[in-house]
Amino acid sequence: MIWEVFRQEKPGDYHRHVGNVHAPDRGMAELFAQIQHARRMTTNSLWVVPQDEVSEIDAEDANFGGTTDKSYRWAMTFNRVDASFAAEVAESEDEQREAAKQREEADG
Amino acid sequence: MIQFHANSEVMGGYLDRAFTRMAPSLDRKLACTAKTQDEIGHAQLLYRAAETLGVKTRDQMLDELANGEGKFLNCFHYPVDSWYEAPMIDFFVDGAAMRRQATLKQTSWEPYAHAMDKICFEEGFHVKQGEDILRELMGSSKANQERVQSVFDEWWPRILQFFGPTNDQSTHHDFASRVGLKTMTNDELRNAFLNAYIPKARKYGLEIPDTPRIEEHDDGTWTVVEDDLDWDEFWTIAKNDYEGSHEQIGTRTQRQEAVEWVRNAIDTPSGGANAPQAAD
Repeated sequence: MIWEVFRQEKPGDYHRHVGNVHAPDRGMAELFAQIQHARRMTTNSLWVVPQDEVSEIDAEDANFGGTTDKSYRWAMTFNRVDASFAAEVAESEDEQREAAKQREEADG
Repeated sequence: MIQFHANSEVMGGYLDRAFTRMAPSLDRKLACTAKTQDEIGHAQLLYRAAETLGVKTRDQMLDELANGEGKFLNCFHYPVDSWYEAPMIDFFVDGAAMRRQATLKQTSWEPYAHAMDKICFEEGFHVKQGEDILRELMGSSKANQERVQSVFDEWWPRILQFFGPTNDQSTHHDFASRVGLKTMTNDELRNAFLNAYIPKARKYGLEIPDTPRIEEHDDGTWTVVEDDLDWDEFWTIAKNDYEGSHEQIGTRTQRQEAVEWVRNAIDTPSGGANAPQAAD
């Protein structure tokens, strides 16, 4: 049986997928996950999940958004006002700009 | 505190919903619907974060909101009547909310912190949209400017109360701060908000009302004369007992009941003996 492993480096971080392990049961899976994925890397916590329990939807199955013009819901659209007066608003806009850029690149 | 936050997203979304109909153009209407959708989505994220504490289920929290036990932000107890109020909610109240929310990315409860990451990502659009509406209205006719000033006079004290009572009057702060849920005090947050948003209000030609009295100090902090604010009204609102509270909660209760059949249908996915399983 295959178990997917997600590792969190520090408290507060997101758990990120790092790989998977073979194991006959949950206890063994937890042990192998520790040995294979948390022995050298800084680790605060691991999630170990049976592979069957992870559902996948990929870009062939679904449109993940971005196929219609939704510019009205992006901060960058409102470019007659300037977000720099408040750090948290500027940061949010930067994150959105970065996300939009990444999506454009992915779309080629 | 997380439940309060989630409830506030729901009730804020309900207020915002009204603006879709009032919005003067298709672009604005689209942005309003997108924003309402975001707010309800934020509520879902936050109810999940609250649920992970293992104290109450989402159903319990939604029931409490509908039956008047659930508490939420003071600003969302007041009805909105006109498009001129859109910048009050979307710029000033949302801006205040965002100031507070940005500090909560560092909150001690991890599911809450992660919900804040996603929420703050989206909020930038709300605040800029709000400011753009303010810019547009204050750059238009004298009559429009006067209408905005008049609703600003009405909303300003409520916005000052957004951050709650001053530190020495705050009742919940000690616990929330001790466990690291809250990372800044009411006064610190209010100061930061005033520093950023008063210049903005002035830039667009809004006059800050004389009362409640606020005073700026050389070190960039502000003193709000607490006695000038209507705390009777605030605490009535805090008990969900204000006239507007009944109206806003009533609207929510009606919705909650109207879509009960949807929740029931989702809770019994087989939908009857002969229906196929949802998965596989």
